[in-house]
Amino acid sequence: MTAPSHKLCLLGDFGVGKTSLVARFVRSTFSERYLTTVGVKVDSKLVERGQLGPAKLVIWDIAGRDALDALGMNYLRGASALLLVADGTRESSLASALDLLMQSRSIVPRAVAAMAVNKLDLVDEWEVGPAVLMEIRRSLPVFETSALSGDGVEAAFADLAARLPA
Amino acid sequence: MTRPAPAAPRPSLPPEDPATPPGAFERLRELLLGSEARELANARARIAALEEAQRALPERLPAALAAAPDADHAGRLAAALAAPVSAALGTAVRTQPKLLVDGLFPVIGPLIRKSIAEALRSFVADLNSAIESSLTPRGLRWRIEAWRAGVPYAQVVLRHRLACSIDHVFLIERESGRVLWHAAAPELAALDGDAIAGMLTALGEFVQDSVGKTSGGGLESASVGEHLVWVVAGPAANLACFMRGAPPPQLRERLQQRLEEIHLHLGEPGGNGPDASSWAAGLEPGGLLSAADAALPAGRARLWPWLVLILVACAALGLWVVRDVRWNARVAELQAALATHPGFLPLGIETKSWRALTIRGMIDRDAPPLEAVLARADLGKVTPKLEFGRYVSGDDAIVAARARRLLAPPAGVGIAVADGVLSVTGSAPAGWVAAARERAPLIAGVADVDFRLAERLDRAAALQALQRLAARAAELQVPFAEEAEPAADAAAVLAAIVAVAREAAALAETAGVTLVLQSVGSNDESGGEAINAQVRALRARWLADALAAEGIPGVEPVAGDPGSRRSAWLRIRIEPAP
Ligand SMILES: Nc1nc2c(ncn2[C@@H]2O[C@H](COP(=O)(O)OP(=O)(O)OP(=O)(O)O)[C@@H](O)[C@H]2O)c(=O)[nH]1
Ligand SMILES: [Mg+2]
Repeated sequence: MTAPSHKLCLLGDFGVGKTSLVARFVRSTFSERYLTTVGVKVDSKLVERGQLGPAKLVIWDIAGRDALDALGMNYLRGASALLLVADGTRESSLASALDLLMQSRSIVPRAVAAMAVNKLDLVDEWEVGPAVLMEIRRSLPVFETSALSGDGVEAAFADLAARLPA
Repeated sequence: MTRPAPAAPRPSLPPEDPATPPGAFERLRELLLGSEARELANARARIAALEEAQRALPERLPAALAAAPDADHAGRLAAALAAPVSAALGTAVRTQPKLLVDGLFPVIGPLIRKSIAEALRSFVADLNSAIESSLTPRGLRWRIEAWRAGVPYAQVVLRHRLACSIDHVFLIERESGRVLWHAAAPELAALDGDAIAGMLTALGEFVQDSVGKTSGGGLESASVGEHLVWVVAGPAANLACFMRGAPPPQLRERLQQRLEEIHLHLGEPGGNGPDASSWAAGLEPGGLLSAADAALPAGRARLWPWLVLILVACAALGLWVVRDVRWNARVAELQAALATHPGFLPLGIETKSWRALTIRGMIDRDAPPLEAVLARADLGKVTPKLEFGRYVSGDDAIVAARARRLLAPPAGVGIAVADGVLSVTGSAPAGWVAAARERAPLIAGVADVDFRLAERLDRAAALQALQRLAARAAELQVPFAEEAEPAADAAAVLAAIVAVAREAAALAETAGVTLVLQSVGSNDESGGEAINAQVRALRARWLADALAAEGIPGVEPVAGDPGSRRSAWLRIRIEPAP
C-alpha cells in the first residue's frame, strides 16, 4: 500500500443524494431510484492529487439523518474528512447539514470539511438562495453538485482530498 | 414530520337555562336558525344512520369480504387491503413474534428438516468418497494420523473435509476502519479491501451499538454460508480473518497473539500505517494456518518419537526381510546342491528362518557324506536335522563306490561304472581277480561286467612258489657213476635244475627276497671217509661249474652229508633282502 488512506464521511439528511454522489464519484453511475441507505456503505477510490501524491479515500456513506445519534457518532470516528450534503430543493436539508457539522465537531474536531448542495440539475426548483450560500461559504467550502449530471462532484471530493495530509 | 392538524372548534349551543320553559329555546332556535337546525337534524339523522351502519359493519364485513372475490371490484379490494394487511403483519411480527413463530413453526420445521437431511446426504456422500479413497496416499496419511491421535478414522476425514482455508487477513485501524495491512490467499481475485474493512468496522459498531455499550463485546465472528469472518479486537487495531471451512480453535488464540505482537510495533494511532515488514510475515494466511496447526496440543512434539519408532520399525522390517531373503536363498541353494548330490533322494526341507532346518530324504549307504554340502550351505547357528530313509541307488557313481567297497580292489586296479557297466582295469593278484570275477556281477546296480585285468603275483604267492621251487630243487639229484663222473642221464636232471634256478631267480624279485644257491655233493656208504669227503667236494664243484656254464653264477659248492647216494643237487635258501 503506497498511497495513504483516509476516511471520508458523508453526512446529510434523508434523500439528499449522498449515495448518488458516491456512485457518481466512485463508479460514474446514477440511478433515479431511491433506495435509502441502511446503516452505512463503505467504498473506496484512489485519487490523484498532483504534487501531494495519490491518496486512497475510504468513503463512508452514512444513512441520512438530521441529527447524530450514538451510532452515527461511532461511524464518524477516525474520519479525516467530512462532506456535508444538502438538497438544494429543500432548504431544511441545508439546516440539517449545518447541524450535523456542528455535532460532528465534538468527535472529529480536526477533520477537513466541505459542503455539497446537490441536485444542481433541478436548480429551477431550488429553495436555497445564493445569499445563504454566500453566507455559508465564509466558513466552509460549498460546492453546487449534481449526481445526475456529475457537475461539481469531482471538484467537491478533490477539494477535500487536497486538504488531506500526504 | 406531519403533526395532526388542531381539531376544528365544535359548534357549541348556548347553555340551557332551567328557568325558561322547555321548548322556548327550541322555538327560538327554530326562529333564529330554522333552516340550519333542520339541516342539523338531518345531519344528525344521517350520522345516526351512518353510526348504525358502522355498528353493523363487523357483522356485515365477513359476508361482504366473502362476496368480494366474485364481484368485479375484487382487484381493487385486494389492492386496498394490501397496505394495511402488510402493515398489520409487520406490527404483529414486532409485537408478538412468538405468536408468529408458533404459527410458522409447523411450516418451517419440515422445511428445515428437509434441508438438513439434504445437507447430511451430500455430506455422507462426501464422507463415503473419502473413506472409499482411503487407500490413496492421502487416505493412508489420514489413517496414520488417526492412529497417532487415537481417534476414529472418520473423525480425521471429517476434520480434513472441513478443512479451513484463510482467504483474507485484514489489519484494520480500530477507530477509522482503515486498512493498515491486508493479505489474501494467492489464488483469490483482487477486491476492495478498504471498503470491506470499513463495512466490517461499521458492522462492528452497529453490533456494539445494538447490544449496548455496557456489555463490552463487539463483533467477534460472522458467517455467511461457508464463509466465516473472525474479528479479533485490539485497542488500536482489529484483526479480521476471512475463512472458509471449519477453522481450528487454536487459530483465534493465534490471531490474538499476533495482534498483541503487532500492537507492540504499532506507531502513533492515527499515523498512516506502521512499517509492516516487521510483523507482516506472521499474518500471511498460509502462515497463520500452519502456525495454528503447530499449536495443536503436543502435535509436533509428539511426532518425533513416533517418527523414530517408525524408522526403527522400518529398519527392523527391512532387516528382517533381508534376513529372510538371504535365508531363503541359502535354503534354495542347499536344495539344489542336495538334488544333485549322488546317492541322495531329497523328499523335502522344512525351515524356520534362521532357527531350524530339517532335511528329509532317502540316502544310499555309499553316498558321499552330506556333511560337506551342509557345511557349505552356511546356515549360521542352525544345525540341520536329518531324517533319512535307506535306499539303493542306481547312480553310476554310487554303483562304482559300492563295487569298490564290496570288491576291495588292491592297488593298481581301476573300477569305473558307466551306464551300469562295471569295468575293472589294471593288474591284480590272480586270487583277487578270481574272487572279483565271481562277485562283481552280483553287485546291485551292475548290469554287466567288463574285466580288462592283468593277473599278477603278489609277494606272498611268490614266496610260496619259491618255497615250492626250493623243495623241488632238493629232489633233483644229478646222478654220478663214480667219483666225479656224472651218470648217463645227468644232463636231463641238470637241465631241470637250471629251469628251477631261473624261475626262482625271477620269483625272488617279486617276493623281495634274496636267494642263496648252494650246490651240495653227496656219496654212498662205500669207501673211506676221507676219500668220500673229497668225492663230495668234487661233485659239488662239478654242479656249480655246470650251472655257471648255464648262466647261473654264484653257486657255492658245499659238501653234503655222507651216506645217501652218489649225486649232487642245488639247495635254494631264501633269505630276507638286505
Ligand atoms: N435530479 C437529481 N436527483 C438526484 C440527484 N442526486 C440524487 N437524486 C435522487 O434523489 C433520490 C435520493 O438519492 P440518494 O442518493 O439515495 O439519497 P441519500 O442521501 O443517499 O438518501 P439516504 O440514503 O436515505 O440518506 C434518488 O431518487 C436519486 O435519484 C441529483 O443530483 N439530481
Ligand atoms: Mg443513501
